[in-house]
Amino acid sequence: MATHALRPAAPTYSRGRLYEWLTTTDHKKIGIMYVINSFVFFLIGGILALVVRTELAQPGLQFLSDESVYNQIFTMHATLMIFMFVIPMLAGLGNYAVPLMIGAPDMAFPRINALSLWMLPLAGILLVASFFTGGSAAAGWTSYPPLSLDGPLKSPGTGQDLWIVGLILIGTSSILGGINFLVTIFKMRAPGMTLFRMPIMVWTVLVTSVLVVMATPVITSALVMLFIDRNYGGRFFDPFGGGSAVLYQNIFWFYSHPAVYVMILPAMGVISEVLPVFSRKPLFGFKAFIFATAGIGALGFSVWAHHMFTTGSVFLPFFSLMTFLIAVPTGVKMFNWVFTLFRGQLTFSTPLIFAIGFLTMFLIGGINGAFSASVPVDFALHDTYWVVAHIHYVLFGGSVFGIFAGLYYWFPKMSGRMLDEGLGKIQFVLMFIGFNLTFFPMQMLGLAGMPRRIADYAADAGWNDWNMAATIGGFLIAASILPFIWNVFVSLRNGKIAGDDPWEGNTLEWATSSPPPPYNFDHLPEIRSERPVFDARHGRGAH
Amino acid sequence: MSADSHALAPADHSPISGLAHDIRGGISNPILGMLLFIASEIMFFAGLFAAYFSTRANFVDANGVKEWPPSEFADILNPFSLILVATVILILSSVTLQMALWAIRRDDRTGFLRNMAFTFILGITFLLLQAYDYSLLFQEGLTMGSGPFGTTYFTLTGFHGAHVFGGVIMLGVVLYRGMSGQFSSRHHDAVEAASLYWHFVDVVWIVLFTILYFL
Amino acid sequence: MSPNPRKRPAPEALIAGLVVVILAALVIAVFLTGWGSSLYPPDAVTQQGRDVRGLYDIVFAFGLAIFILVEGLIVWSVLRYRRRPTDSDLPTQTHGNNIAEVIWTVIPTAIVLFLFVISWQTLNKVDAVSARPDIRIHAIAGQFQWQFEYLDQDGKKVATQLTPAYDTATGAGGMAVPVGRSVQVTLDSPDVIHAFYVPRFLFKRDVVPGQTNTFEFTVDASEAGQVFRGQCAELCGTGHRLMLFSVIALSPTAYDAWLNALIEKSNATPAPLPSGTVLNVTAEGIKFDTTTLDVPADSPFAIAFTNKDPAGVTHDIDIRDSNGTVVANEDTINGGTTTNYTINPLPAGTYTFFCSIHSNMTGTLTVK
Ligand code: HEA
Ligand code: HEA
Ligand code: CUA
Ligand SMILES: [Cu+2]
Repeated sequence: MATHALRPAAPTYSRGRLYEWLTTTDHKKIGIMYVINSFVFFLIGGILALVVRTELAQPGLQFLSDESVYNQIFTMHATLMIFMFVIPMLAGLGNYAVPLMIGAPDMAFPRINALSLWMLPLAGILLVASFFTGGSAAAGWTSYPPLSLDGPLKSPGTGQDLWIVGLILIGTSSILGGINFLVTIFKMRAPGMTLFRMPIMVWTVLVTSVLVVMATPVITSALVMLFIDRNYGGRFFDPFGGGSAVLYQNIFWFYSHPAVYVMILPAMGVISEVLPVFSRKPLFGFKAFIFATAGIGALGFSVWAHHMFTTGSVFLPFFSLMTFLIAVPTGVKMFNWVFTLFRGQLTFSTPLIFAIGFLTMFLIGGINGAFSASVPVDFALHDTYWVVAHIHYVLFGGSVFGIFAGLYYWFPKMSGRMLDEGLGKIQFVLMFIGFNLTFFPMQMLGLAGMPRRIADYAADAGWNDWNMAATIGGFLIAASILPFIWNVFVSLRNGKIAGDDPWEGNTLEWATSSPPPPYNFDHLPEIRSERPVFDARHGRGAH
Repeated sequence: MSADSHALAPADHSPISGLAHDIRGGISNPILGMLLFIASEIMFFAGLFAAYFSTRANFVDANGVKEWPPSEFADILNPFSLILVATVILILSSVTLQMALWAIRRDDRTGFLRNMAFTFILGITFLLLQAYDYSLLFQEGLTMGSGPFGTTYFTLTGFHGAHVFGGVIMLGVVLYRGMSGQFSSRHHDAVEAASLYWHFVDVVWIVLFTILYFL
Repeated sequence: MSPNPRKRPAPEALIAGLVVVILAALVIAVFLTGWGSSLYPPDAVTQQGRDVRGLYDIVFAFGLAIFILVEGLIVWSVLRYRRRPTDSDLPTQTHGNNIAEVIWTVIPTAIVLFLFVISWQTLNKVDAVSARPDIRIHAIAGQFQWQFEYLDQDGKKVATQLTPAYDTATGAGGMAVPVGRSVQVTLDSPDVIHAFYVPRFLFKRDVVPGQTNTFEFTVDASEAGQVFRGQCAELCGTGHRLMLFSVIALSPTAYDAWLNALIEKSNATPAPLPSGTVLNVTAEGIKFDTTTLDVPADSPFAIAFTNKDPAGVTHDIDIRDSNGTVVANEDTINGGTTTNYTINPLPAGTYTFFCSIHSNMTGTLTVK
């Protein structure tokens, strides 16, 4: 198909490949660099998690000399995983896929797009550098004051300040990215691509972008106030200086709950592309799916205080009800996915396997969350390993499985070559077993009363076996990453040539060459439904 | 948003459509971008205002008295002072900016440049007045560290000031580009976007002024 | 749903159905045989805790049912509908089904509304506090130690328990409460946020500085004589994991005796300073005012210890030898109080004196 690339009238002198990548404003290259950058921080965050698991394998402080180090490690683990891995990774996949899927030549603001990208490694370096400035932030990824304020036994070091600055940078990058996505989606769709013919992936990015634009500035304000309190004698959050400790929590979670949907919706978008393609059926209940996505986004703004049920200063019934209600639109999606598989013709390529992994694991995480929506039950479960299990079942079992589904799905488009299916399946099996071995026992630990964020526990508390299991599982997950890295390296050189449309895809990115030329298309198929490439392949009658 | 009706007719389609300039009519890309940016800025200030109201509601001074502003700073916050002048200047600058915008829409470049220059100068004057006002407050002993009142006062006005500063830079760029003749009635998205932003900053100030000095 | 194009029942359908049934049976068996008990919280020991447990059981039953249903559907679809080499035609292109979608919107809505209502009812019971509880305790959580002030009916302090954790060897320490009586706990913190958490109560409540939280519980009469593990559940800094405490359930008479002993101990005047070496040590701002102490070998000495930190911040001075064996283990004192520690003779050598609560507070004790 579109092999004839349209080149801008640029000067013809040649620059190095590296220079070209570093200065590019092409959304595809930017998307790929987002992905690479995020993956590097996934590895760093994963290694920090392994440190945590090694320390917790047995009772006693064996591995880390000092528990202040432990607190730094899990704080940075979560910070990197959330802010430097999942959020930018999904933004990267969106960056790559959205303009292609709506038939646009690029993002609306290509240079701002490059700016969003380059703020990320800078922020990441600030965060990681804090380990070498006398210790990183150590107050948890939530960094509640007064613990995160300046003072003895609190957070006197520069690490916490670097953390604040890093997060503000990442937030700004997200906001600019969100605006860019929204303008792109609203203004740059190809002819015929009406809102209700947009792929679900685009819809999820749209809702995510609304969340980012509306919620991220709010955490920026919380971080700014924290910074002022720490450095300029401010009194926002100091309960002994006229401030309020719970105020920060309200502002923080006003952002951070919507942020968990920022971390899951695009992953849901990915699997909503993958499931139909590999079952050769349309997505079941396409419109319902769109309304459910919007519903999750809207409800997401009214549940933040479910993280604060035990503070004794929020109105419990309201937040409990809203939190319960969010299970409904999510359930609609769940059933729509399952009924997309139902009566299909399933081809078990790696993307589909990871998508099914998402379904099975996110279900557990979601039900876990619904337990916490019940306030009295949350009194028992809050701040125990139950919550750690929930976090990882939704974030790893959901977002990360979705991300791998997306990487396997679009790798042929990005590189022109297929990833090896065998290695992909090895990765999945290892990861799936390791994942459940790590995080399923954490539910038991939480119920048995093990609090989170402790560097050590009593040997007679009855937590030893589950902790050992979780540690072994953690290393299994790490082992599963190695075949993936190997797969990427090998396939980039020797992988099977993909062709334009290796999966018999539905959406427009499969109508151009792999990799697509600059500005993406020089010919677009007619868009008469949400599956234009399907229509072109099978004719309208098949729809 | 009824973007559907703007869907491009096939004939208009070129591979780089929308990249340089939107050709579909309706709201243009930079302006939509600016509106969304302003939405995010509103949320940022909403966070600060929420903190302000929460702090204010919880405030009791060392003697257990619930009074806001605290008695020792009560006289400082006289709205009928320098700050009123600054407020008038900022509102005026929105007016001149709007006149500049109308002028360029009519292709009246001299009117545009004159009003743009006024706006720019008024913006700078506002900043200078605010700096001077800060120095007065410092003399009176009100600083960031003087209790919740000082913290919220300087955070709110300071961040507003920073936004004015950003706006002034934006106006400067627009003025500069205007002087080199880059704008016309058909091509002045940057002017529209800058004016949206400036009006927004102005509205924030009016809200801020009302809340801090009158409520 | 539109008619299935496959007419003959495929062998996959049989296998898939079988697998799903076996898996579901397995899961259910796990819960019926007690292997699943680790997916339930421990048995509650308070009246309120039993309410929470009852609620948990209902939520869990729904959760499990939904899990089995959806997981079963996934497994079945995956096993049943693989693409066969002969499948060249597309499967029926089902775009949706309004009835099905209404069903799976309405039923979950009904379920969550039901769960919400019973949660709210339980909440009202668990969260209730009475105007005149039988016992009042003011718990103060400071970095990194709990203390429990016993109050009389007017809220006046009668005694303070400065040793929060029960020591099986000595029987000292812990927060004692009478069984069958309502106990009201008020929570305060002088520094950062902590949380009062007793797993067997199925309950926790944050200790938020600048705000006093209150909750109430009644320990079941059958639990008299039991000790329950408690722990701070909100990250509060480097000593977070060490903020342990115990709740001791006593019969009302045993409780009265226990409280009287505590009152006596609280009112006792500090031991007079012995003649001989007396060291003066002050703790302020989570620091000792000195990092080196010198005493003569093999003779008793005393430390006059002043804690100048705010009330709620406790300190002590313990001593360990160069092997790390603790040779003097003294009681903690509250901020704003003083005490005298009398230390037994030590052989010559270099020792470390430290605060058992703040790992950063250490110094060298030279005995020669
Ligand atoms: C991707 C991220 C993600 C996602 C998607 C979710 C989804 C949900 N979360 Fe989670 N959550 C986190 C990330 C996420 N969460 C994180 C990181 C924390 C911890 C933060 C910290 O403290 O560090 C947290 C903590 C957290 C808490 C606080 C726990 C505590 O600290 O005490 C609560 C409480 O209500 C909660 C609830 C929920 C609910 C109800 C959902 C729902 O959206 C889930 C809905 C899905 C389903 C229910 C399954 C599918 C539905 C059906 C099959 C229909 C039928 C179901 C029913 C009728 C129940 N979450
Ligand atoms: C997307 C988010 C995400 C992801 C993917 C993970 C992944 C993992 N997490 Fe994490 N976690 C969080 C988000 C996440 N976590 C959050 C938000 C918290 C709460 C923090 C808080 O309380 O503040 C948390 C907390 C948390 C805790 C609780 C700490 C505590 O409360 O004390 C634990 C404990 O086991 C843990 C473990 C793990 C493990 C074992 C993994 C594994 O999946 C990791 C897998 C391992 C790797 C990915 C390593 C791969 C590396 C290699 C193979 C080496 C190759 C090297 C080269 C090529 C150079 N996590
Ligand atoms: Cu106190 Cu954790
Ligand atoms: Cu949440």
